[in-house]
Amino acid sequence: MSRKEKQSISAALAAATCSLLGAGIPAVVDAQEESAWDFNTSLLYYGEDEDRVQDFSVSAIARRMFVDDRFLTLGLTVDGLTGATPSGAIRQDVAQTFTRPSGNAAYTVPVGDLPLDDTFKDTRVAVTGGWQQPVGDTSLINVGASASREYDYTHLGVNARFATDFNRRNTTLSAGIALSIDSLDPVGGAPMPLTAMLDVGDTGNRMGDQDKDVLDLVLGVTQVVSRDLVVQANYSYSKSDGYLTDPYKILSVVDGTTGDTLTRSPTPGVEGPSHQFLFESRPGERTKHSIYGQAKYYMNGKVLDASYRYMTDDWEIDSHTVDLRYRIPFGTDRYIEPHLRFYTQTEAEFYQLSVPDSQPLPSFASSDYRLGDFDAITAGVKYGWKTRNDNEMSIRAEWYGQSGTVPANQIIGNQANRDNYPDLNAIIVQFGYRF
Amino acid sequence: MNRMIGLAVVVVLLSAGCSSMGVEPWERDVLAKDEMQLTTDALEAATDDHIYFSKEASSGGRGFGGGGCGCN
Amino acid sequence: MTNSLFIKIIVIAWALAVSPIAASDSAPSTNLDLSEHQGKVIVVDFWASWCVPCRRSFPWLNAMSEKYADEGLLVIGVNVDQDAGSAAEFLQNYPAKFLIEYDRGGNLAREFGVQAMPSSFVIGRDGQIRAHHLGFKVKRQDEYEAAILEALQQEIVK
Repeated sequence: MSRKEKQSISAALAAATCSLLGAGIPAVVDAQEESAWDFNTSLLYYGEDEDRVQDFSVSAIARRMFVDDRFLTLGLTVDGLTGATPSGAIRQDVAQTFTRPSGNAAYTVPVGDLPLDDTFKDTRVAVTGGWQQPVGDTSLINVGASASREYDYTHLGVNARFATDFNRRNTTLSAGIALSIDSLDPVGGAPMPLTAMLDVGDTGNRMGDQDKDVLDLVLGVTQVVSRDLVVQANYSYSKSDGYLTDPYKILSVVDGTTGDTLTRSPTPGVEGPSHQFLFESRPGERTKHSIYGQAKYYMNGKVLDASYRYMTDDWEIDSHTVDLRYRIPFGTDRYIEPHLRFYTQTEAEFYQLSVPDSQPLPSFASSDYRLGDFDAITAGVKYGWKTRNDNEMSIRAEWYGQSGTVPANQIIGNQANRDNYPDLNAIIVQFGYRF
Repeated sequence: MNRMIGLAVVVVLLSAGCSSMGVEPWERDVLAKDEMQLTTDALEAATDDHIYFSKEASSGGRGFGGGGCGCN
Repeated sequence: MTNSLFIKIIVIAWALAVSPIAASDSAPSTNLDLSEHQGKVIVVDFWASWCVPCRRSFPWLNAMSEKYADEGLLVIGVNVDQDAGSAAEFLQNYPAKFLIEYDRGGNLAREFGVQAMPSSFVIGRDGQIRAHHLGFKVKRQDEYEAAILEALQQEIVK
C-alpha cells in the first residue's frame, strides 16, 4: 500500500472537519425536540477488481449543540485495508521475483501479469475534534484537530477557519488554514531514493523515520444569487515539505533498446529480485494551487449540484474535475440522486514508465499510476429515505474507472506490445444513517 | 502561478462587488433546506475526498460557509 | 425609522388588506384591529418555519406574553413562510400563545426593514419603534426583556 492510501485517511478527516464546518447552520436539526446530539454514521465498501485494493470502513461523526449555535464535533473512522496495489514495475514476458518491502521475504509475479505488491493489510484509526461558535452577529469561527495512526504512519493536524457574512448575509467570505505534521516509519525502513531493490535480508540502503509537513490555505466566497441559487468560489494553496516519496514503489530498469527489464541474480543461497528495480524518488517539496467553483440550483423540488475544480502544481500536474449531482425527491420523504464525475490529469514531470539503462539516472522518477496521465469517470446513484422516527438513511453505489496513457516517448521497444498503464476499475458502496 | 493568484483575486473582488445581489432575509426558505446546503452530507464528502486523494494526484478544493437560512 | 402614526397606519392597513387573502388561502388568521390596542406596547416578531433560532424564541415570546399581558403587552408573531403548510407544522411543534399573522408577500417585513431572521421590534405605547433586535440568542434574553420593560414603563404624556 502506498503512503498515499494511508495519508488519505487523515486528509479525509481534515476534509470531514472542513466540510462539516461548511455546513454552518446545522442541516440535521429536525422540527421536533431539538436533541442536543446529532450523529452521522456510515459503512463503506471500496473494492477494485483483479485482486487489488479492498477497503471496509466504519465512520461516525457526533455533533453536540450548545446554547446559541455553538457546536462540538467528534469524529472517528476505522478502516481495514486488504488487497494488492501496483508496485510500479512493468509487465514482462517472464515471471518476476521481488523482495518484499520488509526485506524479509520475496514474492513472484506470473508471466505477463501486472506486478502487484500485496503486503498491505492494514488497519487505520483516525479521530477528529472541532469547536464552532458564532463571533458577533455575522461571523463564525471553527477550530479543530485531527490525528490518525496505522502501523507505519502517524498524522497530527490542526485547523481553523473564519467566515463572515455581508450584504444582508447574501455574501460570505471565508478563510481557513490547516497544518499537519506526519511521520512515516515504513516497513523495513525507507529506502534511499533511486537505489536498487536488494536481496532478502539486505537492508543496507534503508534510512530511518521520515517526516512530512503540509500547510493548506483556503479562501472562499459564497454568494446567494437568487431564492433558488447559491454559488461558491474558492482558491486553495497547499505546500508540502519533507518525505513525499512512496517508500514501497519501484521502477523497472530496462534495456534502452528492447525495453525489457534487465535481469539479475540474487546472491547464492538467498532469495532476491530476479530483475533490476530501483526505489522511486519524488521531490522534497510540492506546491499546489486550486480554484473551485460550485453552484446549487433548486428547480421546483429538484436540486442540481454542479462543481468544477482546476488544480496545478509545481510537479507539472494539471487536473480538471467536474462533479454533477441531481437530487430528485419523490413522495415527501424519499429521494434519488444520480451522480456523475469526470476527472482528468496530466502526468508529473518526473513520471516515467521505466528507467532505461542507456540514459543517466534522473534526480526524481516515479512510475506510480496516480502521478500519470489519465482520465477517470465516476457514475453512481444514491437513494435516501426518512425512517419512521424522522431519521435519515441512504445507500449509494458507484463505479469508478481510470484509464491512463503513457507518453509515447516513454515507451521503449517491446513495451509497445504490452498493456502498460494499470487501469483501475472499482466499486463504491456506502450505507449512511443520520439520527 | 502569478496568473492563478491574479485570477483568484479577480474572482474574490468580483464576488465581493456583487453587493446588490441576493435575496431579502425573509426569502431564504429554499436556501435553508438541507438539500440546498453546499455540503449536504459531510461524511459522504469526506469519504469521496478520501478515495480520490488515494487514487488521484489532486485533493480537496471545497470551501465552507455561506448560503443556508442566514439566521442570526 | 418612520414615525409613530405611519407605523400604526401601515400595520392596520396591511392587516385589513392581507386578512381576506390569508383567509382565502385557508390559513388561520385573525382580523386585526389595532385601534383597540392603543396605548399598548406591541412586540412584532418576524418568524419562519425554516428559521432555526425561531424555535428558541417562541417559548420566550410565550413567557413574555403571559408575564406582561396585564401590563399592556401585545405580542404579534408575523410569519413570512411562502408555504402555509410549513408554518402550520412549525406551530404544531412550537405552539404560540400569542397572536400570529401572515405576511406571505413579505410586504410588512419590507416596511419594517427586516435585516435578518428572526427580527423583533418593540413598539412603545406612543407608537414609536423603541428597540429592535436581530436574531435570537438565549444568552441575551434578559437584554430583550429589559427593552420590553422599558417600553412598558414609559409614561404617555398627553
